[in-house]
Amino acid sequence: MTNAIEIRQLHYRAGRAFQLKQLDLNVPSGAIYGFLGPNGSGKTTTIRLVLGLLRPLAGRITVLGDAIPDAAPRVLARVGYVPEQPHLDPTLTVRETLRFQAAFYPNWDWACAERLLRQLELDEHTTFGRLSKGQKGKLMTLLALAQRPDLLVLDEPTDGLDPVVRRDVLSALLDYVSQRQATVFISSHLVHELERICDWIGVMDNGRLITEVPMARFKNGIKRLRVAGAPPSAAGAPFLILAREHANSGAETWVVRDWEPEMAAYFATIGAALNDVIDLDLEEGFVELLRTFRRPPSSS
Amino acid sequence: MFRVLLYSQWKWTRLIVALGSVAAFALPIVSVQGAARADSNPLQAGELLQAVQSWGTLYPVLAAALGLLVAIATWAPDHRGRHVHALSLPLPRWRYVSLRFGAGAALLAAPIVAVSAGALLATWSATIPAGLQGYPGALAIRFALAVLVAYAVFFAVSAGTARTAGIILGLIGGVILVQIIAGVANIDLDLFGRLQVVVLNWPGPLAIFTGRWMLIDV
Repeated sequence: MTNAIEIRQLHYRAGRAFQLKQLDLNVPSGAIYGFLGPNGSGKTTTIRLVLGLLRPLAGRITVLGDAIPDAAPRVLARVGYVPEQPHLDPTLTVRETLRFQAAFYPNWDWACAERLLRQLELDEHTTFGRLSKGQKGKLMTLLALAQRPDLLVLDEPTDGLDPVVRRDVLSALLDYVSQRQATVFISSHLVHELERICDWIGVMDNGRLITEVPMARFKNGIKRLRVAGAPPSAAGAPFLILAREHANSGAETWVVRDWEPEMAAYFATIGAALNDVIDLDLEEGFVELLRTFRRPPSSS
Repeated sequence: MFRVLLYSQWKWTRLIVALGSVAAFALPIVSVQGAARADSNPLQAGELLQAVQSWGTLYPVLAAALGLLVAIATWAPDHRGRHVHALSLPLPRWRYVSLRFGAGAALLAAPIVAVSAGALLATWSATIPAGLQGYPGALAIRFALAVLVAYAVFFAVSAGTARTAGIILGLIGGVILVQIIAGVANIDLDLFGRLQVVVLNWPGPLAIFTGRWMLIDV
Protein backbone atom coordinates (compact mmCIF):
# COMPACT_ATOMS: atom_id res chain seq x y z
CA MET A 1 0.00 0.00 0.00
CA THR A 2 1.40 3.41 -0.96
CA ASN A 3 1.02 6.44 1.23
CA ALA A 4 -0.65 9.67 0.12
CA ILE A 5 1.21 11.50 2.90
CA GLU A 6 4.51 10.43 4.43
CA ILE A 7 6.30 12.37 7.12
CA ARG A 8 9.72 11.29 8.36
CA GLN A 9 11.65 12.70 11.33
CA LEU A 10 9.96 16.07 10.99
CA HIS A 11 11.16 18.85 13.24
CA TYR A 12 9.49 22.23 13.44
CA ARG A 13 9.60 24.93 16.08
CA ALA A 14 7.16 27.79 16.58
CA GLY A 15 8.60 30.15 19.17
CA ARG A 16 9.90 28.74 22.44
CA ALA A 17 6.73 27.13 23.65
CA PHE A 18 5.84 24.70 20.89
CA GLN A 19 7.66 22.26 18.68
CA LEU A 20 7.08 19.17 16.61
CA LYS A 21 9.95 16.80 17.15
CA GLN A 22 10.80 13.64 15.23
CA LEU A 23 7.31 13.30 13.84
CA ASP A 24 6.63 10.24 11.67
CA LEU A 25 3.22 9.91 10.05
CA ASN A 26 1.75 7.81 7.24
CA VAL A 27 -1.59 8.36 5.56
CA PRO A 28 -2.36 5.38 3.29
CA SER A 29 -3.71 6.16 -0.17
CA GLY A 30 -7.49 5.88 -0.30
CA ALA A 31 -7.85 6.03 3.47
CA ILE A 32 -9.95 8.40 5.52
CA TYR A 33 -7.40 9.29 8.16
CA GLY A 34 -8.69 10.98 11.31
CA PHE A 35 -6.14 13.24 12.93
CA LEU A 36 -7.17 13.58 16.55
CA GLY A 37 -5.79 15.70 19.30
CA PRO A 38 -6.70 18.35 21.84
CA ASN A 39 -6.50 22.04 20.96
CA GLY A 40 -2.90 23.19 20.64
CA SER A 41 -1.55 19.68 20.13
CA GLY A 42 -0.01 20.50 16.73
CA LYS A 43 -2.65 19.31 14.28
CA THR A 44 -2.97 22.56 12.33
CA THR A 45 0.80 23.07 12.32
CA THR A 46 1.30 19.57 10.93
CA ILE A 47 -1.32 20.23 8.23
CA ARG A 48 0.34 23.50 7.26
CA LEU A 49 3.68 21.72 7.01
CA VAL A 50 2.10 19.02 4.85
CA LEU A 51 0.79 21.70 2.46
CA GLY A 52 4.10 23.59 2.36
CA LEU A 53 2.65 26.64 4.08
CA LEU A 54 5.33 26.32 6.75
CA ARG A 55 8.90 25.17 6.31
CA PRO A 56 10.28 22.47 8.59
CA LEU A 57 13.64 22.75 10.35
CA ALA A 58 14.42 19.14 9.51
CA GLY A 59 12.80 16.01 8.15
CA ARG A 60 11.08 14.91 4.95
CA ILE A 61 7.49 15.33 3.81
CA THR A 62 6.12 13.54 0.75
CA VAL A 63 2.60 14.22 -0.50
CA LEU A 64 1.13 12.29 -3.44
CA GLY A 65 4.65 11.14 -4.29
CA ASP A 66 6.23 14.60 -4.42
CA ALA A 67 8.48 16.30 -1.89
CA ILE A 68 7.10 19.23 0.08
CA PRO A 69 7.78 22.15 0.04
CA ASP A 70 9.89 21.86 -3.16
CA ALA A 71 7.05 20.58 -5.33
CA ALA A 72 4.30 22.41 -3.47
CA PRO A 73 2.63 24.07 -6.50
CA ARG A 74 2.33 20.73 -8.34
CA VAL A 75 1.04 18.97 -5.24
CA LEU A 76 -1.39 21.73 -4.27
CA ALA A 77 -3.07 21.46 -7.69
CA ARG A 78 -4.16 17.96 -6.59
CA VAL A 79 -5.09 18.82 -3.01
CA GLY A 80 -8.37 20.23 -1.73
CA TYR A 81 -7.78 22.12 1.49
CA VAL A 82 -10.39 23.30 3.96
CA PRO A 83 -8.63 25.44 6.57
CA GLU A 84 -9.65 25.79 10.18
CA GLN A 85 -10.55 29.46 9.67
CA PRO A 86 -12.02 30.21 6.25
CA HIS A 87 -10.07 33.24 5.00
CA LEU A 88 -11.28 34.18 1.56
CA ASP A 89 -11.69 37.65 0.11
CA PRO A 90 -14.74 39.02 1.98
CA THR A 91 -15.61 41.43 -0.85
CA LEU A 92 -16.16 38.70 -3.45
CA THR A 93 -19.58 37.10 -3.89
CA VAL A 94 -19.95 33.34 -3.83
CA ARG A 95 -20.04 33.27 -7.64
CA GLU A 96 -16.95 35.50 -7.89
CA THR A 97 -15.15 33.31 -5.36
CA LEU A 98 -15.85 30.27 -7.53
CA ARG A 99 -14.47 32.10 -10.58
CA PHE A 100 -11.40 33.15 -8.59
CA GLN A 101 -10.70 29.61 -7.46
CA ALA A 102 -11.42 28.08 -10.88
CA ALA A 103 -8.71 30.23 -12.45
CA PHE A 104 -6.01 28.54 -10.35
CA TYR A 105 -7.00 24.86 -10.50
CA PRO A 106 -6.46 22.90 -13.74
CA ASN A 107 -8.98 20.18 -12.82
CA TRP A 108 -11.73 22.55 -11.73
CA ASP A 109 -15.13 20.98 -12.42
CA TRP A 110 -17.83 23.60 -13.05
CA ALA A 111 -20.58 20.99 -13.27
CA CYS A 112 -19.65 19.70 -9.83
CA ALA A 113 -19.43 23.26 -8.47
CA GLU A 114 -22.91 24.13 -9.80
CA ARG A 115 -24.39 20.91 -8.41
CA LEU A 116 -22.88 21.51 -4.97
CA LEU A 117 -23.99 25.14 -5.05
CA ARG A 118 -27.59 23.95 -5.36
CA GLN A 119 -27.17 20.98 -3.03
CA LEU A 120 -25.64 23.10 -0.25
CA GLU A 121 -28.16 25.90 -0.86
CA LEU A 122 -25.63 28.73 -1.17
CA ASP A 123 -26.74 32.11 -2.52
CA GLU A 124 -24.29 32.98 -5.27
CA HIS A 125 -24.92 36.74 -4.92
CA THR A 126 -23.95 37.01 -1.25
CA THR A 127 -20.44 38.24 -0.50
CA PHE A 128 -18.17 35.92 1.46
CA GLY A 129 -17.98 38.43 4.30
CA ARG A 130 -21.74 38.28 4.77
CA LEU A 131 -22.01 34.49 4.85
CA SER A 132 -22.77 32.79 8.17
CA LYS A 133 -20.19 30.44 9.68
CA GLY A 134 -22.12 27.43 8.40
CA GLN A 135 -22.39 28.87 4.89
CA LYS A 136 -18.67 29.62 4.88
CA GLY A 137 -18.00 26.02 5.88
CA LYS A 138 -20.20 24.80 3.05
CA LEU A 139 -18.49 27.08 0.53
CA MET A 140 -15.01 25.95 1.62
CA THR A 141 -16.11 22.34 1.19
CA LEU A 142 -17.56 23.15 -2.25
CA LEU A 143 -14.30 24.82 -3.34
CA ALA A 144 -12.22 21.87 -2.14
CA LEU A 145 -14.41 19.31 -3.92
CA ALA A 146 -14.84 21.19 -7.22
CA GLN A 147 -11.05 21.08 -7.66
CA ARG A 148 -11.41 17.28 -8.13
CA PRO A 149 -8.53 16.62 -5.74
CA ASP A 150 -6.80 13.30 -5.14
CA LEU A 151 -6.23 14.29 -1.52
CA LEU A 152 -8.54 16.25 0.76
CA VAL A 153 -6.92 17.96 3.73
CA LEU A 154 -9.58 19.13 6.14
CA ASP A 155 -8.65 21.08 9.25
CA GLU A 156 -11.58 21.01 11.67
CA PRO A 157 -14.01 21.34 8.73
CA THR A 158 -17.15 21.09 10.85
CA ASP A 159 -15.97 22.89 13.98
CA GLY A 160 -18.66 25.27 15.20
CA LEU A 161 -21.20 24.18 12.59
CA ASP A 162 -24.73 23.21 13.56
CA PRO A 163 -25.68 19.52 13.20
CA VAL A 164 -27.64 20.06 9.97
CA VAL A 165 -24.78 21.87 8.21
CA ARG A 166 -22.31 19.37 9.62
CA ARG A 167 -24.32 16.52 8.15
CA ASP A 168 -24.54 18.30 4.76
CA VAL A 169 -20.79 18.94 4.67
CA LEU A 170 -19.83 15.39 5.71
CA SER A 171 -22.32 13.90 3.28
CA ALA A 172 -20.85 15.92 0.37
CA LEU A 173 -17.36 14.84 1.39
CA LEU A 174 -18.25 11.17 1.69
CA ASP A 175 -20.08 11.19 -1.66
CA TYR A 176 -16.97 12.59 -3.32
CA VAL A 177 -14.64 10.12 -1.63
CA SER A 178 -16.78 7.16 -2.59
CA GLN A 179 -16.83 8.30 -6.24
CA ARG A 180 -13.16 9.21 -6.60
CA GLN A 181 -11.42 6.94 -4.07
CA ALA A 182 -9.65 10.06 -2.86
CA THR A 183 -7.60 10.13 0.32
CA VAL A 184 -8.90 12.23 3.19
CA PHE A 185 -6.75 13.65 5.98
CA ILE A 186 -9.19 15.14 8.44
CA SER A 187 -8.30 16.78 11.71
CA SER A 188 -10.83 17.25 14.46
CA HIS A 189 -11.36 17.14 18.17
CA LEU A 190 -14.95 15.98 17.58
CA VAL A 191 -14.16 12.35 18.25
CA HIS A 192 -17.64 10.95 17.56
CA GLU A 193 -17.61 12.50 14.10
CA LEU A 194 -14.34 10.80 13.16
CA GLU A 195 -15.47 7.51 14.67
CA ARG A 196 -18.23 7.24 12.07
CA ILE A 197 -16.20 8.00 8.96
CA CYS A 198 -12.50 7.20 9.46
CA ASP A 199 -10.67 3.97 8.78
CA TRP A 200 -7.33 5.15 10.18
CA ILE A 201 -6.61 7.23 13.22
CA GLY A 202 -3.63 9.23 14.41
CA VAL A 203 -3.54 10.87 17.82
CA MET A 204 -1.42 13.91 18.46
CA ASP A 205 -0.58 15.57 21.75
CA ASN A 206 1.94 18.23 22.64
CA GLY A 207 3.65 18.09 19.25
CA ARG A 208 4.04 14.31 19.23
CA LEU A 209 2.16 11.52 17.50
CA ILE A 210 1.06 9.17 20.27
CA THR A 211 -0.43 6.48 18.10
CA GLU A 212 -1.30 5.72 14.48
CA VAL A 213 -3.42 2.62 13.84
CA PRO A 214 -6.39 1.40 11.81
CA MET A 215 -9.60 2.58 13.42
CA ALA A 216 -10.88 -0.97 13.97
CA ARG A 217 -7.75 -1.91 15.86
CA PHE A 218 -7.87 1.23 17.96
CA LYS A 219 -11.50 0.71 18.92
CA ASN A 220 -11.31 -3.03 19.48
CA GLY A 221 -7.98 -2.95 21.21
CA ILE A 222 -8.84 -0.55 24.01
CA LYS A 223 -10.88 -2.13 26.81
CA ARG A 224 -11.85 -1.48 30.39
CA LEU A 225 -11.30 -4.59 32.52
CA ARG A 226 -12.71 -5.35 35.95
CA VAL A 227 -10.06 -7.33 37.80
CA ALA A 228 -10.01 -8.82 41.29
CA GLY A 229 -7.03 -9.96 43.36
CA ALA A 230 -4.33 -8.59 41.11
CA PRO A 231 -0.82 -8.21 42.59
CA PRO A 232 0.67 -4.67 42.69
CA SER A 233 3.01 -5.47 39.82
CA ALA A 234 1.53 -6.77 36.58
CA ALA A 235 4.78 -7.73 34.94
CA GLY A 236 4.70 -9.67 31.69
CA ALA A 237 1.22 -8.52 30.66
CA PRO A 238 0.64 -9.23 26.94
CA PHE A 239 -1.27 -5.94 26.61
CA LEU A 240 -0.39 -2.34 27.46
CA ILE A 241 -1.91 -1.07 30.70
CA LEU A 242 -3.00 2.52 30.16
CA ALA A 243 -4.62 3.06 33.57
CA ARG A 244 -5.10 1.06 36.75
CA GLU A 245 -7.55 2.32 39.36
CA HIS A 246 -8.45 0.74 42.67
CA ALA A 247 -12.10 0.17 43.47
CA ASN A 248 -13.69 -1.43 46.61
CA SER A 249 -12.53 -4.61 48.33
CA GLY A 250 -9.49 -5.37 46.21
CA ALA A 251 -11.27 -4.90 42.90
CA GLU A 252 -9.59 -2.81 40.25
CA THR A 253 -10.43 -1.22 36.94
CA TRP A 254 -7.78 -1.47 34.24
CA VAL A 255 -7.80 0.36 30.95
CA VAL A 256 -5.69 -1.59 28.48
CA ARG A 257 -4.58 -1.31 24.89
CA ASP A 258 -3.86 -4.01 22.27
CA TRP A 259 -6.35 -6.36 23.92
CA GLU A 260 -7.20 -9.76 22.41
CA PRO A 261 -9.80 -12.13 23.95
CA GLU A 262 -7.26 -14.93 24.46
CA MET A 263 -5.26 -12.67 26.76
CA ALA A 264 -7.83 -13.34 29.49
CA ALA A 265 -5.72 -16.39 30.41
CA TYR A 266 -2.98 -14.07 31.63
CA PHE A 267 -4.92 -13.21 34.80
CA ALA A 268 -4.89 -16.81 36.01
CA THR A 269 -1.09 -16.79 35.75
CA ILE A 270 -0.82 -13.87 38.18
CA GLY A 271 -3.44 -15.20 40.58
CA ALA A 272 -6.10 -12.65 39.64
CA ALA A 273 -9.63 -12.93 38.31
CA LEU A 274 -10.97 -11.14 35.26
CA ASN A 275 -14.61 -10.32 36.01
CA ASP A 276 -15.62 -8.20 33.07
CA VAL A 277 -14.37 -6.83 29.73
CA ILE A 278 -16.04 -3.58 28.71
CA ASP A 279 -15.81 -1.98 25.25
CA LEU A 280 -14.77 1.67 25.13
CA ASP A 281 -15.91 4.00 22.41
CA LEU A 282 -13.36 6.09 20.52
CA GLU A 283 -13.76 9.11 22.78
CA GLU A 284 -13.13 7.12 25.96
CA GLY A 285 -10.20 5.38 24.34
CA PHE A 286 -8.83 8.73 23.18
CA VAL A 287 -9.16 10.25 26.65
CA GLU A 288 -7.49 7.27 28.32
CA LEU A 289 -4.68 7.37 25.78
CA LEU A 290 -4.05 11.04 26.45
CA ARG A 291 -4.17 10.51 30.22
CA THR A 292 -1.52 7.81 29.95
CA PHE A 293 0.64 9.87 27.65
CA ARG A 294 0.52 12.89 29.92
CA ARG A 295 1.12 10.99 33.18
CA PRO A 296 4.60 11.60 34.63
CA PRO A 297 6.85 8.53 34.16
CA SER A 298 7.27 7.99 37.91
CA SER A 299 3.56 7.33 38.47
CA SER A 300 3.12 4.82 35.65
CA MET B 1 -5.29 34.17 -13.03
CA PHE B 2 -4.31 37.78 -13.64
CA ARG B 3 -7.87 38.71 -14.52
CA VAL B 4 -9.38 37.31 -11.31
CA LEU B 5 -6.67 38.92 -9.17
CA LEU B 6 -7.18 42.22 -10.99
CA TYR B 7 -10.91 42.00 -10.33
CA SER B 8 -10.36 41.17 -6.65
CA GLN B 9 -7.98 44.10 -6.27
CA TRP B 10 -10.32 46.42 -8.13
CA LYS B 11 -12.90 45.74 -5.43
CA TRP B 12 -10.42 46.73 -2.72
CA THR B 13 -8.92 49.78 -4.45
CA ARG B 14 -11.73 51.26 -6.57
CA LEU B 15 -12.44 54.16 -4.20
CA ILE B 16 -8.74 55.04 -3.91
CA VAL B 17 -8.25 54.77 -7.67
CA ALA B 18 -11.40 56.80 -8.45
CA LEU B 19 -10.57 59.62 -6.01
CA GLY B 20 -6.91 59.56 -7.05
CA SER B 21 -7.86 59.80 -10.71
CA VAL B 22 -10.14 62.79 -10.07
CA ALA B 23 -7.37 64.53 -8.12
CA ALA B 24 -4.80 63.64 -10.79
CA PHE B 25 -7.02 65.03 -13.53
CA ALA B 26 -7.86 68.20 -11.62
CA LEU B 27 -4.35 69.07 -10.43
CA PRO B 28 -2.84 70.23 -13.79
CA ILE B 29 -6.01 72.14 -14.63
CA VAL B 30 -6.12 73.93 -11.28
CA SER B 31 -2.41 74.74 -11.49
CA VAL B 32 -2.91 76.90 -14.63
CA GLN B 33 -6.33 78.21 -13.65
CA GLY B 34 -5.31 81.89 -13.83
CA ALA B 35 -3.68 81.45 -17.22
CA ALA B 36 -6.68 79.64 -18.62
CA ARG B 37 -9.19 82.37 -17.98
CA ALA B 38 -9.99 84.05 -21.31
CA ASP B 39 -11.84 86.97 -19.73
CA SER B 40 -8.85 88.28 -17.79
CA ASN B 41 -5.33 89.23 -18.66
CA PRO B 42 -2.94 86.31 -18.89
CA LEU B 43 -0.69 86.00 -15.89
CA GLN B 44 2.76 87.27 -16.36
CA ALA B 45 5.31 84.55 -17.04
CA GLY B 46 6.85 84.82 -13.55
CA GLU B 47 3.53 84.62 -11.78
CA LEU B 48 2.45 81.66 -13.89
CA LEU B 49 5.68 79.80 -13.20
CA GLN B 50 5.29 80.49 -9.50
CA ALA B 51 1.70 79.17 -9.51
CA VAL B 52 2.63 76.08 -11.52
CA GLN B 53 5.59 75.40 -9.23
CA SER B 54 3.61 75.75 -6.02
CA TRP B 55 0.88 73.42 -7.30
CA GLY B 56 3.64 71.17 -8.60
CA THR B 57 4.61 70.13 -5.06
CA LEU B 58 1.33 68.19 -4.91
CA TYR B 59 2.25 65.78 -7.74
CA PRO B 60 4.85 63.81 -5.76
CA VAL B 61 2.59 63.88 -2.70
CA LEU B 62 -0.30 62.48 -4.75
CA ALA B 63 1.98 59.91 -6.38
CA ALA B 64 3.32 58.75 -3.01
CA ALA B 65 -0.16 58.62 -1.47
CA LEU B 66 -1.54 56.60 -4.38
CA GLY B 67 1.42 54.22 -4.30
CA LEU B 68 1.05 53.75 -0.55
CA LEU B 69 -2.71 53.24 -0.47
CA VAL B 70 -2.86 50.92 -3.49
CA ALA B 71 0.06 48.87 -2.12
CA ILE B 72 -1.67 48.46 1.24
CA ALA B 73 -4.98 47.60 -0.43
CA THR B 74 -3.21 45.11 -2.71
CA TRP B 75 -2.09 43.00 0.24
CA ALA B 76 -5.14 43.64 2.40
CA PRO B 77 -7.14 40.51 1.46
CA ASP B 78 -4.08 38.29 2.01
CA HIS B 79 -3.14 39.93 5.31
CA ARG B 80 -6.69 39.48 6.56
CA GLY B 81 -6.45 35.78 5.81
CA ARG B 82 -2.90 35.55 7.22
CA HIS B 83 -1.85 34.46 3.72
CA VAL B 84 -3.22 30.95 4.25
CA HIS B 85 -5.41 31.02 1.14
CA ALA B 86 -2.72 32.65 -1.01
CA LEU B 87 -0.08 30.13 0.08
CA SER B 88 -2.37 27.18 -0.54
CA LEU B 89 -2.93 28.17 -4.18
CA PRO B 90 -1.08 25.92 -6.65
CA LEU B 91 1.46 28.35 -8.03
CA PRO B 92 4.97 29.40 -7.03
CA ARG B 93 5.13 32.26 -4.55
CA TRP B 94 7.15 34.49 -6.87
CA ARG B 95 4.46 34.15 -9.51
CA TYR B 96 1.68 34.99 -7.11
CA VAL B 97 3.59 38.08 -5.92
CA SER B 98 4.22 39.10 -9.56
CA LEU B 99 0.52 38.76 -10.37
CA ARG B 100 -0.47 40.80 -7.33
CA PHE B 101 2.11 43.46 -8.19
CA GLY B 102 1.00 43.55 -11.81
CA ALA B 103 -2.67 43.88 -10.89
CA GLY B 104 -1.96 46.82 -8.56
CA ALA B 105 0.24 48.49 -11.17
CA ALA B 106 -2.47 48.04 -13.80
CA LEU B 107 -5.00 49.77 -11.55
CA LEU B 108 -2.60 52.69 -11.11
CA ALA B 109 -2.82 53.29 -14.86
CA ALA B 110 -6.09 55.15 -14.25
CA PRO B 111 -4.61 58.11 -12.28
CA ILE B 112 -1.62 58.18 -14.64
CA VAL B 113 -3.94 58.50 -17.63
CA ALA B 114 -5.93 61.11 -15.67
CA VAL B 115 -2.80 63.23 -15.11
CA SER B 116 -1.94 62.94 -18.81
CA ALA B 117 -5.45 63.98 -19.84
CA GLY B 118 -5.57 66.80 -17.28
CA ALA B 119 -2.14 68.08 -18.31
CA LEU B 120 -3.02 68.01 -22.03
CA LEU B 121 -6.30 69.80 -21.39
CA ALA B 122 -4.62 72.37 -19.14
CA THR B 123 -1.86 73.25 -21.63
CA TRP B 124 -4.34 73.32 -24.51
CA SER B 125 -6.79 75.63 -22.75
CA ALA B 126 -4.27 77.93 -21.04
CA THR B 127 -2.90 81.08 -22.57
CA ILE B 128 0.81 80.49 -22.18
CA PRO B 129 3.00 83.62 -22.22
CA ALA B 130 5.69 83.89 -24.86
CA GLY B 131 8.93 82.22 -23.89
CA LEU B 132 7.21 79.49 -21.86
CA GLN B 133 6.20 76.04 -23.00
CA GLY B 134 3.89 73.25 -21.81
CA TYR B 135 5.34 69.82 -20.91
CA PRO B 136 2.28 67.60 -20.41
CA GLY B 137 3.99 64.45 -21.70
CA ALA B 138 7.08 64.86 -19.51
CA LEU B 139 4.95 65.60 -16.45
CA ALA B 140 2.76 62.55 -17.07
CA ILE B 141 5.80 60.27 -17.52
CA ARG B 142 7.38 61.63 -14.36
CA PHE B 143 4.14 61.18 -12.44
CA ALA B 144 3.87 57.62 -13.75
CA LEU B 145 7.42 56.80 -12.63
CA ALA B 146 6.85 58.36 -9.21
CA VAL B 147 3.60 56.44 -8.69
CA LEU B 148 5.25 53.16 -9.70
CA VAL B 149 8.33 53.77 -7.52
CA ALA B 150 6.13 54.58 -4.51
CA TYR B 151 3.92 51.59 -5.24
CA ALA B 152 6.92 49.26 -5.59
CA VAL B 153 8.50 50.45 -2.31
CA PHE B 154 5.29 50.22 -0.29
CA PHE B 155 4.31 46.95 -2.00
CA ALA B 156 7.58 45.42 -0.81
CA VAL B 157 7.20 46.81 2.71
CA SER B 158 3.55 45.86 3.13
CA ALA B 159 4.16 42.37 1.72
CA GLY B 160 5.97 41.51 4.91
CA THR B 161 4.70 40.56 8.29
CA ALA B 162 4.40 42.78 11.36
CA ARG B 163 7.92 41.55 12.17
CA THR B 164 9.26 42.95 8.90
CA ALA B 165 7.55 46.27 9.57
CA GLY B 166 9.10 46.17 13.05
CA ILE B 167 12.58 45.61 11.62
CA ILE B 168 12.17 48.53 9.20
CA LEU B 169 10.86 50.82 11.95
CA GLY B 170 13.68 49.62 14.21
CA LEU B 171 16.26 50.51 11.58
CA ILE B 172 14.78 54.00 11.17
CA GLY B 173 14.66 54.39 14.95
CA GLY B 174 18.26 53.20 15.15
CA VAL B 175 19.42 55.84 12.66
CA ILE B 176 17.58 58.56 14.62
CA LEU B 177 19.06 57.32 17.90
CA VAL B 178 22.60 57.25 16.52
CA GLN B 179 22.14 60.77 15.15
CA ILE B 180 20.88 62.04 18.52
CA ILE B 181 23.74 60.38 20.40
CA ALA B 182 26.24 61.79 17.90
CA GLY B 183 24.74 65.24 18.42
CA VAL B 184 24.94 64.99 22.21
CA ALA B 185 28.50 63.64 22.07
CA ASN B 186 29.50 66.41 19.68
CA ILE B 187 30.61 63.93 17.02
CA ASP B 188 30.68 65.17 13.45
CA LEU B 189 28.19 62.71 11.98
CA ASP B 190 25.38 63.69 9.62
CA LEU B 191 23.46 60.48 8.92
CA PHE B 192 20.36 62.26 7.69
CA GLY B 193 22.36 64.33 5.23
CA ARG B 194 24.10 61.23 3.93
CA LEU B 195 20.82 59.33 3.70
CA GLN B 196 19.28 62.22 1.84
CA VAL B 197 22.14 62.20 -0.65
CA VAL B 198 21.91 58.44 -1.14
CA VAL B 199 18.13 58.21 -1.34
CA LEU B 200 16.91 61.50 -2.79
CA ASN B 201 19.72 62.59 -5.11
CA TRP B 202 20.13 61.04 -8.53
CA PRO B 203 20.56 58.06 -8.98
CA GLY B 204 18.92 57.44 -5.59
CA PRO B 205 15.73 55.35 -5.64
CA LEU B 206 13.51 58.28 -4.59
CA ALA B 207 15.17 60.97 -6.74
CA ILE B 208 12.08 61.04 -8.94
CA PHE B 209 10.14 62.74 -6.13
CA THR B 210 12.51 65.68 -5.78
CA GLY B 211 13.10 68.74 -7.97
CA ARG B 212 10.52 70.91 -9.69
CA TRP B 213 7.36 69.41 -11.13
CA MET B 214 6.52 71.92 -13.85
CA LEU B 215 3.64 71.56 -16.28
CA ILE B 216 4.71 74.86 -17.85
CA ASP B 217 8.33 75.94 -17.88
CA VAL B 218 10.84 77.84 -19.90
